[in-house]
Amino acid sequence: MDALPQLIASAIVLGGIYALVSIGLTLIFGVMRIVNFAHGEFLMLSMYLAIGLSTMIGVDPYIGLFVAIPLSLVFGAAVYYIVVRPVIARPHVVQIFTTLGLSIVLQNAALFFWTANFRQLRLSYGDQVLVIAGAAITMPQLIAFAVAALFTAVLFAWLRFTFLGKAMRATAQDPKAATLMGIDTGKILLIAFLVGTMCVCVAGMLMAPLFSTYPTVGLQFVLVAFVVVVLGGLGSAVGALVGALIVAFLDVIGGFYVGTAWKEVLYFVVFIAVLLLRPAGLLGQRGAEELGR
Amino acid sequence: MQIRQILGSRSVPEHFVVATLFGIALCVALFSDNLFLQDAIILTLMWAGLASAWNIAGGLAGQISLGHAAFFGLGAYTSTLIKIHLGWSPWIGMLCGGVLVVVVSGFIAFAATRLRGPYFALLTLAFAAVVQIIAARWYSFTRGNEGLAIAFQPGLGNFIFTDKLSWTIVIIVFVLVLYSIGVWNARSRFGFQLAGMREDEDAAQAIGIDTRMLKVATIAVSAFFTALGGTFYAQYVGFLDPGYVLSVDLSVKFALMCIIGGLGTPSGPILGAILITALEMYLRAKWGGARSGLYLMVYGVLLILIVRLMPEGLVRGIPKWLKGRRRARAA
Repeated sequence: MDALPQLIASAIVLGGIYALVSIGLTLIFGVMRIVNFAHGEFLMLSMYLAIGLSTMIGVDPYIGLFVAIPLSLVFGAAVYYIVVRPVIARPHVVQIFTTLGLSIVLQNAALFFWTANFRQLRLSYGDQVLVIAGAAITMPQLIAFAVAALFTAVLFAWLRFTFLGKAMRATAQDPKAATLMGIDTGKILLIAFLVGTMCVCVAGMLMAPLFSTYPTVGLQFVLVAFVVVVLGGLGSAVGALVGALIVAFLDVIGGFYVGTAWKEVLYFVVFIAVLLLRPAGLLGQRGAEELGR
Repeated sequence: MQIRQILGSRSVPEHFVVATLFGIALCVALFSDNLFLQDAIILTLMWAGLASAWNIAGGLAGQISLGHAAFFGLGAYTSTLIKIHLGWSPWIGMLCGGVLVVVVSGFIAFAATRLRGPYFALLTLAFAAVVQIIAARWYSFTRGNEGLAIAFQPGLGNFIFTDKLSWTIVIIVFVLVLYSIGVWNARSRFGFQLAGMREDEDAAQAIGIDTRMLKVATIAVSAFFTALGGTFYAQYVGFLDPGYVLSVDLSVKFALMCIIGGLGTPSGPILGAILITALEMYLRAKWGGARSGLYLMVYGVLLILIVRLMPEGLVRGIPKWLKGRRRARAA
C-alpha cells in the first residue's frame, strides 16, 4: 500500500491536465453541438509549438504560454471561419467528416514538416522532484497541475459570473431561446470555439515536457477527452472536471493494478457503459443525446 | 449527350454503368497480363464492396458509424485464427466471423438505439478502439502488433488462388450482392421505412415504424458484409495487423468512399471507391516517396471540400449540377 499516495498524486496531476483538454472540447461540443475530431490535433500542434519555442529560440514553455495563447486565438479564428462556420447548420455527417478531414490534414501536415520521430522536450529543471506527503512529483508536473488548475478556476468563474459566460451557458442550453433573449449566438459560437482552442493550446504547452510528441499524439488524448466529456455530460464544464478526475484515477490506478497494457480498455469500457446507460453523462442535461442537434 | 443521359436518369443506366465496370474488370483479368492493373482492380472492387456495406448502415439507415474497422478486423481475425488453430477452411471461418459480427453489432445497435448523430459515431469509435487494443495486447492469441501471416497454400478450399481471375470473380460476386441489396432497398417497403427513419426518426415512430428493429437489422447486415470483406482482405493480402485492419483510418475510409460517391445510392460507394483508390495511388506515386504525409493532406482537404460542396455525393451531385447549368444556359 506504499504506492497509494503516489498513485493518488499522479492521478490528480493527470486529472488536472485531462480537465483542461476536455473543458475545451466540452465547450465546443456543448455550445456548437459539433464534435471536434480535430481537437487532439490542436493539442499536438501546441506540443510542437512548445518544443519549437524551446529548441529554436530557447523560450521556456511556461513563458511561451504568453506567445502561444494569442497564436492559438488567431489559429482558432482562422479554423472557425474557414472550416467550421460553413458547416454549423449542416447535417451531422457533414460536420463529423469536416472535422475528421481537418484532423487528417493537421496530422499529416505535422508528419510532413516534423517527421514521425518522437520528440521529448527536456527542461533544465525537469528532474527536480518534490516529495509531498510521501508522493514524488516532478517540477513540470507540479507546474502543469498548478497552471491547469488556475485556468480551470478562471474559466469556471468566467462561465459562472460574467455576462458572456452566462450567455454561453444559455446558448448551450437552448440556442433558439438564447437568440430570442437577444444573445448574438453567432458571436457566442465563435467565442466558444476560441476559448476551447485556447484551453487545449495551454494544455498542450503544459504537456510537452511530460509526454513524447509525435504527429498522432493527439488521437490518444482526444479519445480520453471524448470519454471525459461524455462521462461528465455534454457541455458541462463541472462535468468535465469530475469526468477528468475519474478517468485519471482509472488511468493511474488501473494502470498500476491491471497493467498499463489494459488500462485503456478499462476507460473505454466505462465510456461505452456511460453511453449506453446514461448517455447524458453524470452532470449533463437529460435527453440532450436524443435531440442530437 | 450519352454520358449525360446515363448519369441523369434513374437506375437502368446505373445498372448499365455498373455492369460495364464489372465487364471491364473481368476482361482485364482474362486478357491482360498487367498484374499491377489486375491487382488494382481487385482491391478497388474490395473497397467498393466495403463502402457499399458501410452504406447500408450509414447511408440507408443514417447511422454514421466510425467503428466499421472493428467489424472488418473481427471478420479477418476470426477466419484467420480459425484456420490457424482449428484448421478449418477460411470459407467456414468467414461465415463464423460474419455470425460473430452480427451478434456483436446487433447487440451494440440494440443498446445504442437512443443515441443519435455524433453520439452514435462516438460509441462506435470507442468500440473499435477497444477491439483494436485487445487485438494488439492479447499477444498469445493474436500475435499482437506483430500481426498474423496467412500461409500461402493455394486451393479453392483454402480460399487462396494463384490466378487473378478467380479473385476477381469472388470479389465481383461480393460487390454484386451488395449492389443488389442497395437496388432492392430503393424500391422495397423496408427501404421506404428506412428513408422515413433517416429523415425524421420521431415522425417515423409516430406512424408505427419500429425504428429500433430497423436500426438493429441494417447495422447487423452492414457489419456482416464488412466482416466478409475482412476475410477477403486477409486471404488476398495475406497479412493482418491491428494497427491497420482495426484502425480509425480504415473506418473513415469506408465512410469517405461512400460519402464521395453518394450516401444511400447503390452505385455511389462503387464510384467513390474507384475515385478514392485511383486518387490514393496517384497521390502516393507522385508525392508518397518524397515526404510522407503530403498525400494524406491532399486527401483530407478533398474530404472537407467534398462534404461541404457536394454533400449528396457525385452520383446525385453531378446530374443536379449539369441540370442546373443547362437551365442557366436556357434562361
